[in-house]
Amino acid sequence: MFKQRVLVLLSLFFISIALANEPYVEGPLLDRITEKYKVFAKKRFFYLQKTLDSVKDKSDLEKLETVNTFYNSVRYSSDKKVYNKSDYWATPWEFLGKDRGDCEDYVISKYFALKYLGVAPEKLFFTYARSSKFKAAHMVLTYFKTPKSEPLILDNNNHKIFPASKRKDLTPIYNFNGDVLNKIGKEKKSHKKWDQLKLNMKRKKI
Amino acid sequence: MTLFKQIALMLSIFLLIILATVLTLNFQSANKSVQEGLYEDAKNTATSLSLSLGGANGDISMMSTMINANFDSGHYISITLVDIDNNTLYKREIESEITDIPKWFLNFVSIEAPTALANVSAGWSQVGILSVQSDTAYSYQQLYSIFKGLLISFAVIATIGLIILNLLLHTILLPLKEVQKQAAAVIKNEFIIQENIPYTKEFKDVVLGMNNMVSKVKAMFDKGNRELKVYKELEYTDQDTGLRNRKYLIDKLPSYLKVDASSGGGVNIIVALSGMIEANEKIGRQNVNRLFVAIANIFKTNTKNIDDSIIARMNGTEFSLLLPDNSSSDALELAEKIYLSCMETIKSSGLNEDETFVSIGLYKYSYLDTISQLLSHSDNALAQAKFSNKSIHLGEIEDAVEVMGKEAWKSIINKAIDKDRFHFVSWSVIDTKAKILAHNVLSINLTADENTSYSYAQFMAPAIQSGLSHDIYKNVVNMLFKIPDILLRASTYSLRLPHEYLIAQDSYNNLSELLRIHTPTLPFKLIIEMPDKLVREDSMQIKQYIKLFRKYNIDIGIFEFIGDSEDYQYLQDLRPVYIKGEGSYFLTQSTQSLSALRLITDTVDISLIAVGVMEMETLKMLEEKEIHIFQGRVTEMLEV
Repeated sequence: MFKQRVLVLLSLFFISIALANEPYVEGPLLDRITEKYKVFAKKRFFYLQKTLDSVKDKSDLEKLETVNTFYNSVRYSSDKKVYNKSDYWATPWEFLGKDRGDCEDYVISKYFALKYLGVAPEKLFFTYARSSKFKAAHMVLTYFKTPKSEPLILDNNNHKIFPASKRKDLTPIYNFNGDVLNKIGKEKKSHKKWDQLKLNMKRKKI
Repeated sequence: MTLFKQIALMLSIFLLIILATVLTLNFQSANKSVQEGLYEDAKNTATSLSLSLGGANGDISMMSTMINANFDSGHYISITLVDIDNNTLYKREIESEITDIPKWFLNFVSIEAPTALANVSAGWSQVGILSVQSDTAYSYQQLYSIFKGLLISFAVIATIGLIILNLLLHTILLPLKEVQKQAAAVIKNEFIIQENIPYTKEFKDVVLGMNNMVSKVKAMFDKGNRELKVYKELEYTDQDTGLRNRKYLIDKLPSYLKVDASSGGGVNIIVALSGMIEANEKIGRQNVNRLFVAIANIFKTNTKNIDDSIIARMNGTEFSLLLPDNSSSDALELAEKIYLSCMETIKSSGLNEDETFVSIGLYKYSYLDTISQLLSHSDNALAQAKFSNKSIHLGEIEDAVEVMGKEAWKSIINKAIDKDRFHFVSWSVIDTKAKILAHNVLSINLTADENTSYSYAQFMAPAIQSGLSHDIYKNVVNMLFKIPDILLRASTYSLRLPHEYLIAQDSYNNLSELLRIHTPTLPFKLIIEMPDKLVREDSMQIKQYIKLFRKYNIDIGIFEFIGDSEDYQYLQDLRPVYIKGEGSYFLTQSTQSLSALRLITDTVDISLIAVGVMEMETLKMLEEKEIHIFQGRVTEMLEV
């Protein structure tokens, strides 16, 4: 009986080690990214991994700060310029590989990086908002510590994270979390862009 | 099953499987599309409604109104709003009512009502999750309508497809049908040449091969026909006068001198020219020949109105004029006329009437006479004429005292017809080469009373003379079809139908009705024999009979054949199973004429049967001439 317990504990230990060591971007995918986007891209992903590793055991807030800061260093560019499409939701690998993207691409990359770091997905929302500063449609990532608490806004235009009440320049329109909807509903589909993004991620689109 | 049916069945099944598969795939695709549409509707509603609900700033009454408005205007079975703690804030739902859709369809098609979800927020804060579930009733109606449309399309396409398939197969396999027709014709000894050569190589080769074979057989038949005509012309015709010769008369006489001959007797006139040696010396051979031709024309002119008469040159100076049904007085009158005309012609040829003259002997013959009796009595009459002053002499043999008078016979026969007192008897026809019974010939006996019975030979002649032959055969034919159990079952029987019966007006209809009713249950195979003389006339009546017998698969035989036709094509058209001729006829035929006849009969698969064969010696002689099937008393001496 004792031996069995030891074996189970050892197994759990090795599994946790294996999971803990699992990189955000695994080797073969990184090789493909390197081949496509060259050595600087590889360095960016290497730095990303290092950054994520540095806050792995930190609080949600520290993870939010780190991830927000890291991704906000990527240059903004419209989908038209980068992908020759009016609107496109890029995978985190495309975003960092090309080292540019629009507001949705920042939100997506931040969302998946935080998810990797263990932040509960149901706390994170893709929020459609209106930016009075740019007088344009915009998207930010919102973090709800509890469902009823005031959200924190992770915005690519404003490098610092503020509570929603401090962001008078943004008018919220619609919150969306695909993972939550997928989890509740029977349908595998929940949102056209989200569904396509998930498909692209499954296909490891770079 | 024909090849056409097999291919048609296979392709039809194949076509139906394809169409059924397409129908199923189409329906599945439509089903999927409808279900996706159902989800998309729900999703659009959920998203747009959640955006609207966001404007209510968490006011439940406002949100409820918005949900009601949406719920009432669309096809939903439920719209539910839950808060972030999963408590229901508001819910509208309705039981789905599916009408106008058959139950089997609902069981057959299962549509799950999809639920679409959307996050609801008010400003930055979350309100909850909105779920919208579409109503499947509308989708069922849509799908049922699609299903009906597909079924109609399927039926229309399948029908058109099968019709086109059928037409295509007919077109492609048309040559095969023609080949089949030609093959069937070959089996029936018909010579059909296929004009339309098929384009399909295999069919083309078969058709060309069969055409070639049929052409060769036809050529053989035509050659036999030509040769037989030439030989018959040589064998039966006097080359100087164009009249028939002695051989023809001898071959033909059996059909006049028999118990069931259509004529009971008549007069045979023998005309002899004397002083022809002097005539040759005086006017030369060529003029003498002209004289013979002129005299032959006198005979032809004077006998042209006498049915079935035969004028034959018996030798260099003698002619025979066989006049059936002629009375002595009519014949004497005719002889006088012929005498005067001949003497006139002799005189006009520049010959002396005292040196060159005509003698005429007349003999009143009976059907009971033999050929030799008829000829010897005719010769006696001529001898008498030569010595009489008038140069014409009628020789008459007193009629044998008949046991019964004509009226007595008439009474017996009429009674027998009324009371069905005829009975079948059969004689064997034996193939000595194959050592088998070829078939049985049916004959009839008449039973007058318990103790008295008459054979065919006894009662048939008085019956013909009394004009009762047709009634007897009508009775016999009825008996044959209506009470056939008296005969041996599962054997082959032949029945000879005489000229008188076949040409009678009601015979065809009577026979036609009997065949229609009784042929399917006839317990034996029947061969109907018809006289050669009637068959080769190729009249409409005969064509009708042939068509009738073919329709009921009754074989045809020919009797009284002596091959004096001008063309033997009728044998190819009629294709009888056999030809019956007198044994004496086959024996007197030259080798060439017999081999020509055999060429004809072999190409169309006709057997030659010698009838009236009495002696084994005659049988042996006939076998030497390659005749192997016999009818007559000799068959009683044969074992099979």
